[in-house]
Amino acid sequence: MGWKEAAEPVLTRMPAVKRPEGHVPFKRKLAWTAGILVLYFFLTNIEILGAAGGQDLFGEFRAILAGSQGSLLQVGIGPIVTASIVMQLLGGANLLGLDTDDPRDQVLYQGLQKLLVVVMTALTALPMVFAGGFLPAQDQLVLGGLEFVGSQVQVLMFLQIFAGGVLLLYMDEVVSKWGVGSGIGLFIVAGVSQRLVSGLISPTPQGFFYSWYQILFTDEVAVGSVLTGDGLFVLLSQDGGQLLALFTTVLIFGIVVYAESVRVEIPLSHARVKGARGRFPVKLIYASVLPMILVRALQANVQFIGQIMFTLGPDREAGPIILFGQELPWLGVYDQSQPVSGLFYYVSPIYSPDDWMWWTGEITAEVWMVLIRVAFDLTFMIVGGAVFAIFWVETTDMGPEATAKQIQNSGMQIPGFRQNVGVIEKVMERYIPQVTVIGGALVGLLAVMANMLGTIGSVTGTGLLLAVSITYKLYEEIAEEQMMEMHPMMRQMFGKE
Amino acid sequence: MDRGQNTGGLMSSAGLIRYFDSEDSNAILINPKTVIATGVMLGVVVQLLTFVS
Repeated sequence: MGWKEAAEPVLTRMPAVKRPEGHVPFKRKLAWTAGILVLYFFLTNIEILGAAGGQDLFGEFRAILAGSQGSLLQVGIGPIVTASIVMQLLGGANLLGLDTDDPRDQVLYQGLQKLLVVVMTALTALPMVFAGGFLPAQDQLVLGGLEFVGSQVQVLMFLQIFAGGVLLLYMDEVVSKWGVGSGIGLFIVAGVSQRLVSGLISPTPQGFFYSWYQILFTDEVAVGSVLTGDGLFVLLSQDGGQLLALFTTVLIFGIVVYAESVRVEIPLSHARVKGARGRFPVKLIYASVLPMILVRALQANVQFIGQIMFTLGPDREAGPIILFGQELPWLGVYDQSQPVSGLFYYVSPIYSPDDWMWWTGEITAEVWMVLIRVAFDLTFMIVGGAVFAIFWVETTDMGPEATAKQIQNSGMQIPGFRQNVGVIEKVMERYIPQVTVIGGALVGLLAVMANMLGTIGSVTGTGLLLAVSITYKLYEEIAEEQMMEMHPMMRQMFGKE
Repeated sequence: MDRGQNTGGLMSSAGLIRYFDSEDSNAILINPKTVIATGVMLGVVVQLLTFVS
C-alpha cells in the first residue's frame, strides 16, 4: 500500500481535460473530432525549429506510430504506446495493486498513466535529439537578437518535440471525452489513410497508378512477355505493377471486415421480464487489433536500442556496433542505419517483400539468415499477439469475471442456468480465453503475412489491420450515436446520461 | 456503482489510454478549447520563428 500514499499528491494533481457536463450532441462530437484531426495534420506539417534533416528513428514503424519525421509531432504516439505497454504489463501481472472499480484507485491509475506518458515522451525525445544523426541540429540559430549555438539549439529542439508529444496526449483526451472514438485511433487511421492514398496516386514509381501508366504507355518499366515468369514477376512486384500489394491490401480489408462479424453468441434472457432477450457476442477478434500495436512497439523499441547503440560508436555509414572500444558484430552490423546481420538483424521485423524474397537477388544476407528472421518474426508476432490479447482483455475488463458481473448487474441471465455470477463466469470461461488467444494469434499471423507480401503505400500489415478495424469500430460507434440521437430513450438503455 | 463500472469498461475498449468517470477535486481541469488553442499557438509560433531565423 506504500507507494499509493506517497504518489497520491502528485498523481491526483495531473492536469486533465474537463468532462462535458451532460449530453454532447452528435454534431458537436463530430466537430471536436474534426477539429483535433485538422490540428493533428497542421502540426505534422510544422517543422522543428533548428533541425537540419536527419533520419527517422522510427523507420518503418512510422506507419503505426503516427506523427511525422522532423515535425512537431516527431514522437507520434510512440510514448503513449510504450507507456500503455508498461501499464498493461504491470496491470496484467497485478503488480500495481490498483482496483479499477474503486474511484480513488481509478484516479491514481489515470494519473500514473499520464505521468508515464510524459516520462516516455522525454525518454523518446532525448536520444532523438542528442544521440547521433536522427535529428541533427543546425550549427547555429539566430532568433532576433538571440543566438543559439550547439547544444542550446538541441535543447530548444527537445523542448519543441516534448511539447508536441504532451500535446498529443491531451488531444487524445479531448477526443476520448468530447468526440467520437479515441484520439490515438484517429491518428493511426489518419496516418495510414494518408499513406494509402499517396501510395495509390502519387506521381512517383511508388505510386500504383503511376507505375501502371509507366507500364502501359512509356517504356520506363520493361515488362516483356506476361507469359514468361519474369514478365509476370514484374507485374506482381513492388517495383513494377504492384499487383501483389494491391491484392494483399484488398484481402486484409476483406478479412478484417469479415472477422469482425465472426462471433460466438451467448444467449441471454432477462430474469424478471419474460420475453426480453439478448445476446452477448464474443467476437473472433475479441480483443480487437489494438494489442498488435503493443507487440510492434515492443519490436520497435528493441530496434531503437540497436540504432542508438550503433550511433554511440564512431560516426560512420556501415559496420558493427562498437561499445567501449569493442566491436560487437554478434549484436548487430549496420549498413545505412539498417541492421544487416547479428542479433538486431534477426529480431527486426519483415517490412516488405524485399526483406525476404531471396530469389530476387536483392538481398545480401544468406538464405538461412533470412529464414531465421522470418521464423523469429512469425513466432514473436503470433505468440506476442496472443499474450498481449490476454493482457488487453484482462486490463480492459473484458475478461470472464468482469463480463459476468456486467451481465449479472444488467439483470440478465443465461437461459437454462442458475442466475448467479459464478455460473455466468463459468460459461464465459469456456469461450473468452480461447477466442482471445485464437484471435490474437490470427491477427499476428495476418500482420506478418501482409508485410511479407507488401501493401500499397507500404502501410505495413499492422497499420492496415489497425486502420480497418479502428474504422469499423468508429462506424459502429457512430451508428450507435445516431440511434441515440434519434431515440433519446436509448441513451438510458446504453447507460449514458 | 453499476453505472460507473459500465462506463469504465466501454471507454477503455476504445483506446490505449483509459479515462474513468471519477475525478479528483485536486486535479487541474483544462478546457478542451485550451488544448486546441495551445496546439495552434505552438504551431504558429514555431513556424513564425522559423521564418525569422
